[in-house]
Amino acid sequence: MPAKRVHQLKISPTWSKEFRDLVNGISGGFLFGIPLLYTMEVWFIGSEVQPSVLIYILSTTYIIIFFLIRVQGFRRNSSHRIIEAVAESIEAMAIGTVCAALMLVLLQQITRETSVNEGLGKIIFEGVPFSLGVALSKTILSGERALANVSNSSPAKLQKKRSTAKQTIWQYTLADFSATAIGAVFIAFAIAPTDEVPMLAAAASPPWMLAIMATSLLVSYTIVFAAGFTNQKKRYQQQGLFQRPWGETVFSYLVSLLAAVLMLWFFHQLSVEDPWSLWLSYTVILGLPATIGGAAGRIAI
Amino acid sequence: MNDVAGDQKKQSERSFAENVSFGISLLVLSLLVGLVVYQWITKKDQPPVLSVTTDAQVRQTGGQFYIPFTVANTGGETVESVEVVAELNLNGKIEDIGSQQIDFLSDGETNSGAFILNQNPNQGELIVRVTGYKLP
Repeated sequence: MPAKRVHQLKISPTWSKEFRDLVNGISGGFLFGIPLLYTMEVWFIGSEVQPSVLIYILSTTYIIIFFLIRVQGFRRNSSHRIIEAVAESIEAMAIGTVCAALMLVLLQQITRETSVNEGLGKIIFEGVPFSLGVALSKTILSGERALANVSNSSPAKLQKKRSTAKQTIWQYTLADFSATAIGAVFIAFAIAPTDEVPMLAAAASPPWMLAIMATSLLVSYTIVFAAGFTNQKKRYQQQGLFQRPWGETVFSYLVSLLAAVLMLWFFHQLSVEDPWSLWLSYTVILGLPATIGGAAGRIAI
Repeated sequence: MNDVAGDQKKQSERSFAENVSFGISLLVLSLLVGLVVYQWITKKDQPPVLSVTTDAQVRQTGGQFYIPFTVANTGGETVESVEVVAELNLNGKIEDIGSQQIDFLSDGETNSGAFILNQNPNQGELIVRVTGYKLP
């Protein structure tokens, strides 16, 4: 059975490595930052704080990230020199801040009517967990044990193991399904019963919902197939019903949406009397964190 | 020996791509800090100033009249639970009333909504005003 196709762009190795490092950091930022993004108290705190407090928060975050980077940076060959850690900390904060800002715009917590002060407060507060996630990205999903297992086994041995275990295509598909569902529940279960879901759904018009769906798919693809997490090679070798990365991404998105709708129903956020449009909007909104959790789940197996 | 030292030096040197990322990152953070400092310096040291305006375009649907409004905070402080009330006076008597609460209004922020009245506001005098707020 052919392994999943790897599409490689013809770019120089330096830029390719840099791209992977940045995508790695962005993925870690999303995994760490998404739960706090769905917390309205953080939006409110961000709206009312004084600029002097924002400077204090930026400085404190920078110091924490600096020490995290000193231990293990988000780049593959992070240097332990202080000057390198200073630069990498700035990069981690910038990545986290930009990701948080984009997500706040996507969820319409920053609109054209938002004042500059309020927008800055929200971005800086939400940027903290995203930046920490960037700094911790290599630690969050290092998967060293899994990598050791993969690297110690030649492809022939792996194939032999597979045939010995008589694992069928359905078993691999079921493994993908389970990992996605467990990851989706792990991240989205705490968000499902909160008021943030109806609040965000109320603000989401159809074009915004399409944008949220596209972002969910893109982030999921990035975490599993574009970021440099160590289990990525294993993902490409995984033999399931869906042999292309985008096929698996769409399949996993549907699994995450299913997990999201079940969680919403479980917490009485949705009932059979509600119109289908409400079911759709709530599911798409909760589908974003669920998909990110599902992607993390597939990386972890 | 020299080769090993050279390799280590090469590894620790930042590539052009890394320098580009660093430059963009520095720009983003500088912009963020610059904006915060600018807000800090230019922050108006004054209490909240709330105003409400109504849109002339009144919509009639299902026997009810929808009157859009926009409330703005032009002061220097953020407020919570802003109460906005619309009263329709006909022949000197309050005939209809609508109220609305805005959860949050930061300094410089505007928020929009609509009052729903049973009577045509063009037939009488419509008074729309902010009746109160609380500080966070």
